[in-house]
Amino acid sequence: MAASLYQEFYKLAHRKVIWIAPIILLGLMVLAGYTVGYGESKLLTALSYDSHDWIMFILVIVGATFFSMEFQNNAILTLLYKASSKLYVYLSKLIVLLVYNLFLHGLALILTVVLRWLPLNKPVAWTTLYQYHQPLWENMLKASALDLITTTLVISIIFLLSCLINNNAVVVSVTFLLIFMGQFLSSSILLAGNLFSLNLLPLVKWNPFNMLNLTAQYVNYITYHATSHLETGQLLNGALLYAIGFFILGYLVFRKKRF
Amino acid sequence: MLTVKQIDVYIGRKQIIKQVSFQVKPGEIVGLVGPNGAGKTTIMKTILGLTKFNGKITVNQQAITENHHAPLAKVGALIEHPAIYPFLTGLQNLQLYSQDPTDMRQLVTLLQMDAYINTKAKGYSLGMKQKLGIAIALLNQPDLVILDEPMNGLDVEATISIRKIIKQYAERGTAFLISSHVLSELQKVMTQVILINHGSMIVNQNVAAFNQRAQKQYQLNTVANAATTKLLQAHQLTFSKTKTGFLVPREEIFAIQDLLAAQQIHLKMLAPVQLNFEQIIVDLLERQRGREHEKTLS
Repeated sequence: MAASLYQEFYKLAHRKVIWIAPIILLGLMVLAGYTVGYGESKLLTALSYDSHDWIMFILVIVGATFFSMEFQNNAILTLLYKASSKLYVYLSKLIVLLVYNLFLHGLALILTVVLRWLPLNKPVAWTTLYQYHQPLWENMLKASALDLITTTLVISIIFLLSCLINNNAVVVSVTFLLIFMGQFLSSSILLAGNLFSLNLLPLVKWNPFNMLNLTAQYVNYITYHATSHLETGQLLNGALLYAIGFFILGYLVFRKKRF
Repeated sequence: MLTVKQIDVYIGRKQIIKQVSFQVKPGEIVGLVGPNGAGKTTIMKTILGLTKFNGKITVNQQAITENHHAPLAKVGALIEHPAIYPFLTGLQNLQLYSQDPTDMRQLVTLLQMDAYINTKAKGYSLGMKQKLGIAIALLNQPDLVILDEPMNGLDVEATISIRKIIKQYAERGTAFLISSHVLSELQKVMTQVILINHGSMIVNQNVAAFNQRAQKQYQLNTVANAATTKLLQAHQLTFSKTKTGFLVPREEIFAIQDLLAAQQIHLKMLAPVQLNFEQIIVDLLERQRGREHEKTLS
């Protein structure tokens, strides 16, 4: 397992996209600071300058190539025979992407602190009360922690798709399509369910794409609760359970796959 | 070192490998030979725990399964294509798996890769990638090395160099299992030959014994080849057909001459043939096809 982890970290550290992504993240956070509005400092701080959406983008691009890179470079056979078991290969890839996710969220928090010094928005104190009558710094940390769970669910979907599809470009496209269209479809169905008073709502609201509203609902409860029809705690538990389920399913596909 | 005991491999319902058994001892260079689709790569993948199988495979007396690769710690392999990440340099590709930097550096020099080892692998030619793939297989002083078509894309100098390195490692006790379509190259290094066709093992012999087959045959041509075929079949004599006549074993030529004389079939030619390695393989495969054809007819 240690050798597999070393190999995965080594490969990650040597990929250009890993180091370019934080620079792009900074650029997009600055852009969000300008575009959201001078008076929206509290919202921008709580959302870490909208870094959560951009982190999801980065994770899809980086994560989707985690398995397909092995297939395209003919490295999967070497990787598998050199590891003690298939589980170690899968787990080490998972751990490395989760650590990178953690790194991106940590970086987004640091960048938020830095960006607040710049004259992008109206200055607001960290202790200003915002959502749930909690100080701004607490909102920011909690939103970031919840987003870690949301992005873990995204990673689990990426892993499942990557084990099903070998081609790099196809995995990236399908993942983008599934995650963003999935969210759109989920909210459309949920709104339609409400509109036509169909009895599907109690079932449909538990679909995995609805769980991707977790971070947004925490920061903007009223708007997103109307769409998700679930409490934030339910979204959190749902996201965790779906993430674990997709990780297990992904591993089962990986284990059965012929190389 | 390596023991393969009665392994069967299925892909879906189709049986790809049928009851294959063999051993590879320390220092041996075993050539795995056979036509395309015979099952050579599947056997190699199975040994590396990459496919499900029935039977038993052990490396240093430790059993390998699809989900237990611990006994492969001292096994190196190059299967199908070299496993190379284009965004890493050659050296970084080696560092991924290397446990001993000195051994890695020595390998780079031994394989004459010093000139380009620090450049990104995405610019490597087919031959450079192949050499790097072989270097990955030879890393960390392995006990067993499995090479699938190692000479692919290599020029003459590189081929000679790889041959020397294989012999050098074998002298130190490393066992090799090598498949190659370039039979003449394989012939120069291997000590044991395993011939596979349709997933079954036809021959498993040391090279000296295998080469004796070369002097054991005579070429026979008569004025009535069709009648000769019937006659040989009727008397259950061993023979194989060639374009112009037959190949018959040396020990049966007197009996065949007597039979032909009794039937008044005149000889056009009866001469000893010196088969080369490739011809022996082709002859063996033709004989097996003949046997299979007879089975189908009966």
